[in-house]
Amino acid sequence: MSLKHTSRMLGAVALLTLLALVLSSCGAAPVSQDWPDLAVEGGIVYLVAGSPQSVYLLDAETGVQKAIFTPAIQSAGARYWSPVTTGGELAFVGFGVQEAKTYGLYAFDPLTGQERWHVATEDFVLGAPVYADGVVYFGSSDGKVYAVDTETRSVKGGWPFQAKDAVWGSPLVSDGKVYVASLGHHLYALDAQTGALAWDYDAGGAMAVRPALDPETGLLYVGDMVGKLNAVHAGSGKPLEGFSFQAKNWIWSETLVSDGRLYVTSLDGNLYALDPATGAVLPSFPVKGGDAVRAAPVRYGDAVYMASYEGKVTAVNAETGVSLWQWPSGLPTAQILTSPVVAGDTLYLLQASGQLFALEAETGVQSWSFTLTTQ
Amino acid sequence: MGELFNEAIIRPMLNVLLLLSHVLWDQYWLAIIVFTIVMRLIMTPLMLPQQRSAKKMQELQPRLKELQAKYGKDREKMAQAQMALYKEAGVSPLGGCLPTLVQFPIWIGLYQSIIHSLGHQPLNLVALSQDIYLKWSWLWSDVPLNRFFLGMDLSLTPQQMGGLTYALPILVAFTMWLQSKMMTPAGAGDPQSQSMNQSMTTMMPLMFGFFSLSFSAGLSFYFIVSNIIGIISQGFISGWSGLRFWQGMSLSKLFGGGARAGAPRPSGTKDVEATTAKPQRGMSSGSSTTGKKKRRRKR
Repeated sequence: MSLKHTSRMLGAVALLTLLALVLSSCGAAPVSQDWPDLAVEGGIVYLVAGSPQSVYLLDAETGVQKAIFTPAIQSAGARYWSPVTTGGELAFVGFGVQEAKTYGLYAFDPLTGQERWHVATEDFVLGAPVYADGVVYFGSSDGKVYAVDTETRSVKGGWPFQAKDAVWGSPLVSDGKVYVASLGHHLYALDAQTGALAWDYDAGGAMAVRPALDPETGLLYVGDMVGKLNAVHAGSGKPLEGFSFQAKNWIWSETLVSDGRLYVTSLDGNLYALDPATGAVLPSFPVKGGDAVRAAPVRYGDAVYMASYEGKVTAVNAETGVSLWQWPSGLPTAQILTSPVVAGDTLYLLQASGQLFALEAETGVQSWSFTLTTQ
Repeated sequence: MGELFNEAIIRPMLNVLLLLSHVLWDQYWLAIIVFTIVMRLIMTPLMLPQQRSAKKMQELQPRLKELQAKYGKDREKMAQAQMALYKEAGVSPLGGCLPTLVQFPIWIGLYQSIIHSLGHQPLNLVALSQDIYLKWSWLWSDVPLNRFFLGMDLSLTPQQMGGLTYALPILVAFTMWLQSKMMTPAGAGDPQSQSMNQSMTTMMPLMFGFFSLSFSAGLSFYFIVSNIIGIISQGFISGWSGLRFWQGMSLSKLFGGGARAGAPRPSGTKDVEATTAKPQRGMSSGSSTTGKKKRRRKR
């Protein structure tokens, strides 16, 4: 083989390799994990983060790590978790590995992180499970809604219910009913015992969050991916007449019902305060929190908090919309997709990188932070 | 730079894909097909010279062979004569490369826009919310897109799905190989060039097939449709005989061994040189001529 031929061949191979590298980096299917999750219950912070993700159990006062929970699945691949919830002396979390086609709800000891049992599902469980009267309710990405009896560790008779599309939001359990929204545009009310469908409402847009209930009026509020906030009677599934609210981008956060007002964040970057009867935006609102806000608003005292995609956290007066403080006060920021949590007088913030911050809710002063050493 | 590329190429393509899916009864696979056809039509002014150039190069092979025989090892004179021949025939040796290079950013944009719009995990959907034009907010109601085709999730890779979906990389490789085969002149140039051409014709599809294992099925779908369109348009330009790929096939030929310097050439190649000394319309590829010769002999 001549030198010229060899060099041409090498050139061709180099070009192909370059093409391969470009295509591999630009064209590969997304295998990223979901954003990290956060829950604070019973003095424990349940942090779903890391690479690969695991559940870290931290002391809510000090941020000291107490235990780790991770299912004994060795398979590599994209891992997806739900946020953790507790009930009946157990903690529950949804977990799945795409490549291994292993999905399910896992129950573990909230003190030691030891797995107690798990129930297999046929797709990812991304919405936080809900515990009520010895039963854990949760939805999965194949549209099934499960009710698992924690005594028998099995799916209750009549369940799962099959929704029209994936269920990413957490169910709401109230007065013997389970309310669950799906990406298939439908909001369902199911009998908590039998799983029988009571009613369903076509919202006209995908919904990926838990409906919020106003216990005084019996109205359910849930935002959707056409930017609309839906108000529906919990008893009948009929929409509230005269109610209308349209944001400038999707609503992907749970509505906060507080003091006769609704607080809604949107991927248009705003925090809205609305009249719960009409959906009209109240004076001094919206308040701009960033380019996009995925995280749900939370309330503590007179303040409502919102965390933007760009990583800015803003505390505003719930009545006047006046900014109380911002965090961090300067650069750098990191993306926040996870809804903040208030427990006691502490505001917990979780960045997409997995770094957790505990701030004094009233002042925004940092108490402690937790960085994963395994990352 | 990344932001500019996103705004100028990825976002427009992504929004057009969503629009097509909206119009085509929420069938994303149909949107990919129509989108690929539209993109190929838009790129026709770039692709056509490449395909015509391939045909002309095929036609020039016998004359190049003559030059080779005439100038032997005098590479300088050979190069001059070769350039004169190209000039006379109106062929640019770079004619085949430049259009490919120009298309490169378009390809990357296509891959990205398909991935962005197909992404159905939470993180991907958050990104999608920022990518859809606010003026086209009526497309929001289509989210999440119907990403299934024949029970196959177009957003997942064959490795993730397993089973019959492994046929996708094979189809990508096969259609790409067939397209390359139709565009590459049989018995083109000196034995070394032939060897390189054959290696490239085999290696490139194999590599794309291999990468398709870890691409979303939607991308493989795009490759297959794009290759089929390429095969059809090349067929109209240089004839359809290249589709009879099994004729005169052997493993050693497939991997370039059959065209090694000093190795005996298949008799078909000699026939081509004899019959295409003066290029004839519709008889541009070696295998085409061979086929006609064989039929003539039979009669």
